[in-house]
Amino acid sequence: MNYMQVIDKAGTNFNYVIAVTLFIIGLYTVVAKDNLIKKFMGLNIMETACFLLYISMGAVKGGKAPIWTEGLKKSTVFVNPIPQALILTGIVVAVSTTALALSLMIKIYEHCETLDAEKLKRLETE
Amino acid sequence: MRKVVVLCSLLICYVLLLFAVVNMPSMGDPDSITIKGPPGRGAVPRYLEKGAEECGGENIITDIILNYRGYDTNGEVTVIFTALIGVLAVLNRERKKISFSDMEQSPVKHSVIVYTIVRILLPFIFIFSLYVILFGEVGPGGGFQGGTIAAAAAIIFILVFGYSYSIGKFPTSWRINFEGIAPLTFIAMGLIGLFLGKNYLTFMFPQFSHTTNLTIARSMLMIIEIAIGVGGAFIFTSIFFAMQREDRS
Amino acid sequence: MIWRLDIILLLFLVATALIVVRTKDLLAAALIFGAYSLIMCIVWQQLSAPDIALTEAAVGAGVTTVLFIVTISKTTRREE
Repeated sequence: MNYMQVIDKAGTNFNYVIAVTLFIIGLYTVVAKDNLIKKFMGLNIMETACFLLYISMGAVKGGKAPIWTEGLKKSTVFVNPIPQALILTGIVVAVSTTALALSLMIKIYEHCETLDAEKLKRLETE
Repeated sequence: MRKVVVLCSLLICYVLLLFAVVNMPSMGDPDSITIKGPPGRGAVPRYLEKGAEECGGENIITDIILNYRGYDTNGEVTVIFTALIGVLAVLNRERKKISFSDMEQSPVKHSVIVYTIVRILLPFIFIFSLYVILFGEVGPGGGFQGGTIAAAAAIIFILVFGYSYSIGKFPTSWRINFEGIAPLTFIAMGLIGLFLGKNYLTFMFPQFSHTTNLTIARSMLMIIEIAIGVGGAFIFTSIFFAMQREDRS
Repeated sequence: MIWRLDIILLLFLVATALIVVRTKDLLAAALIFGAYSLIMCIVWQQLSAPDIALTEAAVGAGVTTVLFIVTISKTTRREE
């Protein structure tokens, strides 16, 4: 493929490109930052990037939301409803892991007086 | 040195992912395989056409999460209950006369404007959350969305009126009864299908006529939605109370 | 899908995510994370997903941001 085709395809699939960019930003935060709360924000950004990729796969140009309201004929073009049902469960799981991890961080701070990953690694080897 | 290695490897991952994304089927194309599925076997046209008459709801997403993919929702309510158990295992529950919190000294508590506006707005937020729960079958919304809105209203109440007053209004002995309501109701409604002769999580039975079936299915879906909403609201309120207490020694 | 609004919202999303990564003040990062959640909610609406938009709005602004702020109030506020 030459350059013009690649840029044209990236313009059509713009949502996917942004989702991948957000995923890499979140991954950088998890790997390179030291504070535990900052790492956890990066994990949340990675999760929402996955949701964006998945729901954009089901979008249709001019499609309507999959709800039978008044006056819709049988031949309307709907958006794919299956990714939305799966991502609903995904959002609930994301918020549950957020609650549990943040409560663990409160407990870690009480015992060790620090939330820095490098200092915590050195604490346990002493 | 470490940062250079991290940045280089992330750049390589980024370029590889961009190659993968550019070769995917075009977004928004109504004839692509991500919308219609493999020809002749796709699930999406069947869910869109027969969802309303086989499941009884007009919101197709509620149909899918409660009837066609009901096992996933069963796992989801178990996950959110497990998160509550985990938080309470790490940070114990508050006790009425002993716990205190440093929110008593907050300046928000003495401001007349905030007090008055919260007291006027809070009933409307609760009614809105009840509306979102009950209209889950006919429009956008559903059980979990309404439950989270009610929990947000309860959190505003706790933040403005202080910790000890709110513990008096939402006592632990009364909250414990409602936290486990979501997984229990879901499993109970699923076992009804088992006792009436068909599989777990069936809402339409061959013994009754079609209109009776629709009524039974709609009422069972509504009971499950109300249970998920109420259970979710109580779970988030309990998590917030447990994270706020200060009398750990 | 109004495509110009889509492109502006998605670029805004990347900008907010970069700011969350770069600030050293954790309270500011938590609040900008709430703004990221709000822009994501509008993106869901543009992709015709009203259920997901309601869930993201309620969960992002009501639960996740509040839990982050409660944790920050009990631990450190600056990163170093």
